[in-house]
Amino acid sequence: MSSGERSADDELVWLAGQGDARAIGALVTGKLPRVLALARRMLGDAGEAEDVAQETFVKAWRQAPLWRPGEAKFDTWLHRVALNLCHDRLRKRRESPAAEPAERIDPGPAPDRDLIARDTGRRVEAALATLPPRQREAIVLCHYQELGNIDAAGVMAISVEALESLLSRARRALRLILADVPRDDWARDD
Amino acid sequence: MTEPGGPAAPMSLERLAVLAGAWGGEVARWPDEERAAARAALREEPLAARRLLAEAAKLDRLLAKAPSPAPSAALTARIVMAAPARARPARWRWLAGAAVGAGLAAASAAGLAAGDRLAPLAVRPATAPADPSEDAVALLREPPDLAAEG
Repeated sequence: MSSGERSADDELVWLAGQGDARAIGALVTGKLPRVLALARRMLGDAGEAEDVAQETFVKAWRQAPLWRPGEAKFDTWLHRVALNLCHDRLRKRRESPAAEPAERIDPGPAPDRDLIARDTGRRVEAALATLPPRQREAIVLCHYQELGNIDAAGVMAISVEALESLLSRARRALRLILADVPRDDWARDD
Repeated sequence: MTEPGGPAAPMSLERLAVLAGAWGGEVARWPDEERAAARAALREEPLAARRLLAEAAKLDRLLAKAPSPAPSAALTARIVMAAPARARPARWRWLAGAAVGAGLAAASAAGLAAGDRLAPLAVRPATAPADPSEDAVALLREPPDLAAEG
């Protein structure tokens, strides 16, 4: 998008800033599932993910009347806000380990492995939760949210090369963590 | 990289392996600037290149099995109701007109003065749903007819 060009999202954000119900509905329908998925995969906690999604939209509604088309993609801006809110929560968890939720599963062959749900999807989710936060961010933004390399690197405030390195390390780690998932699950789509 | 005026030069298999290890087995999901050279490599050395991509695609398939949370109606309603409000559109005016009792109308006026989106939801016909969030969610399912709002 060139500078000053008004995208479909820009138009919706502008209208939402005026209180246009249709635009508000379209933004919520289009963006909420993405924001919620991002927060869920970053935090591994459904309740906290909902809180982050709601806070992200509250910020978006505040920003909407001030939105300047062409300066940034709204979708990228929304990801940055949501990710920052996730960072705040992850930082709080580190500062008060007692509040650490139970999704931090030991990737090694320890007794905790029994806690991983049998369902492959749950195992993948649990594996994501074991990644270092920056690797998890890279995978979530690029693989699940399907942001381009420049947008994802921008959201993470790193270079494209650093992003690529994080992605490589994340995928190597996931292969190891998930190595004992039945081969059938690697070979077929659901 | 794409060569101006000509086909892209194939990337090396080493580079293809690095990119597959970062971006997965689907070249269409790779960075724009890498795709042409990757496709050229696939033409140049199809067996080795496809083997690398197929290996990466296995992890893609596994990652795709992670559940995707769907937003609840309650969350959707909370977010919609936190959105900016403007001079109430026809839908709200109709609801206000159909409200039973001056007390409800007064509550609506107070809500409008405060810019509170919840207030108009309290002004509803006797048959309207008791939960304000139902109205907000209904907005998503059946957007108001903007053409009729004037």
